[in-house]
Amino acid sequence: MIDEQKFLAAIRSSNAEERFAAWRDAGEAPPSAIPALGQLAGGADPAVAKAAAEALTTMVHAVGKSPGAANRGAVVKGLLTVAEQGPLPARVHALRLLSNIAGEDSVPAIANYLKSPELREEAVFALERIPGSAAAKAIMDAYPSAPADFQPRLLAALGHVRATDAAPLVERALHSGNKEIALAAARAYGRIGAKGWAAYPALDAYTGLQRNDLMDGMLRQADALARQGGPAEAMAIYRTALARPEEHWQCAAIVGLSKIGTTEAAAAIQPKLKSDQRTVRITAQQAWRRMAG
Amino acid sequence: MQPSNNSSRRQFLKRASAVAGAPALFHIVPARALGLQGEPAPSDILNLGHIGIGGRGRGFLRPEANLGKRVPAPANLGGDGTHALRPARSVALCDVDVKHLDDAATRVGGQPRLYKDFRRLLEDKDVDAVYIASPDHWHALMTVLACEAGKDVYVEKPACNTIEEGRAMVTAAERYGRVVQVGSQGRSQMGAWQANNFIKGGRIGKVSKVTCWHYASPQGDWTPDSDPPPELDYDTWVGPARWLPYNVKHTHGAFRWLIDFGGGQIRDRGAHVMSIASWIMDADYTGPVSVECTGEPPHDGMYDAAVTMEATYTFRNPNWTLVWGQPGNPSASMDARYGATYWGDTGNIAVTYGDGDSTHTEQKAVDYAAQCACPTVFRSPGHSANFEDCIRTREKPIMHIEAGHRVASLCILGNVAFQLRRKLDWDPVNERFRNDDEANRLLSRPGRGPWNL
Repeated sequence: MIDEQKFLAAIRSSNAEERFAAWRDAGEAPPSAIPALGQLAGGADPAVAKAAAEALTTMVHAVGKSPGAANRGAVVKGLLTVAEQGPLPARVHALRLLSNIAGEDSVPAIANYLKSPELREEAVFALERIPGSAAAKAIMDAYPSAPADFQPRLLAALGHVRATDAAPLVERALHSGNKEIALAAARAYGRIGAKGWAAYPALDAYTGLQRNDLMDGMLRQADALARQGGPAEAMAIYRTALARPEEHWQCAAIVGLSKIGTTEAAAAIQPKLKSDQRTVRITAQQAWRRMAG
Repeated sequence: MQPSNNSSRRQFLKRASAVAGAPALFHIVPARALGLQGEPAPSDILNLGHIGIGGRGRGFLRPEANLGKRVPAPANLGGDGTHALRPARSVALCDVDVKHLDDAATRVGGQPRLYKDFRRLLEDKDVDAVYIASPDHWHALMTVLACEAGKDVYVEKPACNTIEEGRAMVTAAERYGRVVQVGSQGRSQMGAWQANNFIKGGRIGKVSKVTCWHYASPQGDWTPDSDPPPELDYDTWVGPARWLPYNVKHTHGAFRWLIDFGGGQIRDRGAHVMSIASWIMDADYTGPVSVECTGEPPHDGMYDAAVTMEATYTFRNPNWTLVWGQPGNPSASMDARYGATYWGDTGNIAVTYGDGDSTHTEQKAVDYAAQCACPTVFRSPGHSANFEDCIRTREKPIMHIEAGHRVASLCILGNVAFQLRRKLDWDPVNERFRNDDEANRLLSRPGRGPWNL
């Protein structure tokens, strides 16, 4: 362990090489230096702020490999202090670093920042990277009281981490009167890939890329259902896509059906072998060859 | 600007279908509609959309005035001057910088539709395919949304900034049956093809090592943050990346020197040089089992991408080693600022560059390709032409998205090992690090605001 005061003095040095040597070796610095580094990382001198921020990053990497690493708990605790008390740029940096190493026991503290207009993006970013179910649960808990303009972001996070437990919440959001929320829910539901099947809003109520969001959610859900051994439910979705005029949705249905690979799936693809839409026809022919081969 | 009055491919097809089902009518058909007099028929013309048209993106524009002319594919699009670009028209342009938009519209001529929001361009039903030349941190999301909108995609390299992004691009292309070409155009250039034939012809024996060389990244300086210029929608420029204040030294071309945005030389030129290595070594569907990296970050200044680095990748079955050297050891036989040397058990050969007009190899490979009657390697007609051919055939292009993702993965793994300063074991099948919690968290970068994969 290097001496804390000498280390902090080197970080504050006016000599660039001295600062560099200090932050490069910061993995050997005591975690008790973290709050002071946080103050420096938010300071007015950009060179010192960089050295302090890099030192914090180096300390995180030094304990990042294993959750059981010595000092990891102390580094996390120090970063939580910076997130709580530091200048704003340091608080942002601390939350980003916590995404690398924080465990489930830090989730409540980080989730508090979901209520902060300044830090909520950084908080949800950190929560998305923390393994385990506690982070998803915290996002679900925050959802009902979150402002409407942030709820789509929380839904995206639940989809990103494939939060199966969130499926009922997301399913309810599918039918929100707020289109942004309903679309975010559609995307999230498909990504979660829960075993059940939700009734998606009618495509015709949406336009342009919004329809793509809805259909993409449905197609992802179909892919998940097929993987989970629910080909009948998946086939129903693929047939819906197959009946649409949009050639890329038909292509997606063909690709999905070809993975199911049953006689029934092949029968659904067969008419498309003669489709007058060239891309659809070629995709069907390629799928047919894959299924045969 | 208003939509063009000229016939588009889709409009033409719609009309053609209607005519096919109607009673025969006699009327004069202009030669252009039939593709006579050297002009392409409208049904042969691709309608292109362009997202990101400052810098690199300008090179993909198809000026209206060139329609009907034989335009050789330029070297920076992977052409060697012997093949013509396919007939295409730039019908829609998009950029978050209005100056870029205006400049591109002038270059294209005609009446392209102009967009500041790429999602509106993706809704344009007249667009068959898109060229994406946005900054790297946008590549994945734009590609995925383009596939969801039914567009075929040419996306600049590196394909992605995280492993998760790359896999999402592969999945989207596969799900929607889209053609996606990644802009590592070296594979479409003669020098790389000659070297690939030479090596696959056994002329240097079994290759056990590939060593890349490239000059260092800039150290950077301290330039104060400022307000963004009025012509730039800076919040959208940052998009899915982590927010940082505007600074002229990290936007547009200079984003490359921040790891979160561009990733330094290894992700810029590495996506060219290592693309050719992956092609020659048949590694487009796999990856290394370990990576370790040494090097120096900037000691001061606003950048964080490695100034110098040496990343060593170990592959198994077959066993070989790839080294990204920055600066590395340049070839003794070829004069070039970057490239790679392939070391076989009976000889070696160098391939220079891999991006622009300087992808060359040694004379022995040039002679071999000229004399050998049995080259087995696919010869691309040019990177854009190959992409546009594949739009018609629905085959995979030479730098398909799985290859693009795997090559970008090399660049990303090198940077992660550089950042964490430890050897990393990699599972190329499941695309996870073995026994490294923090490294695995860096496989993804959650989005920001409405920009989520």
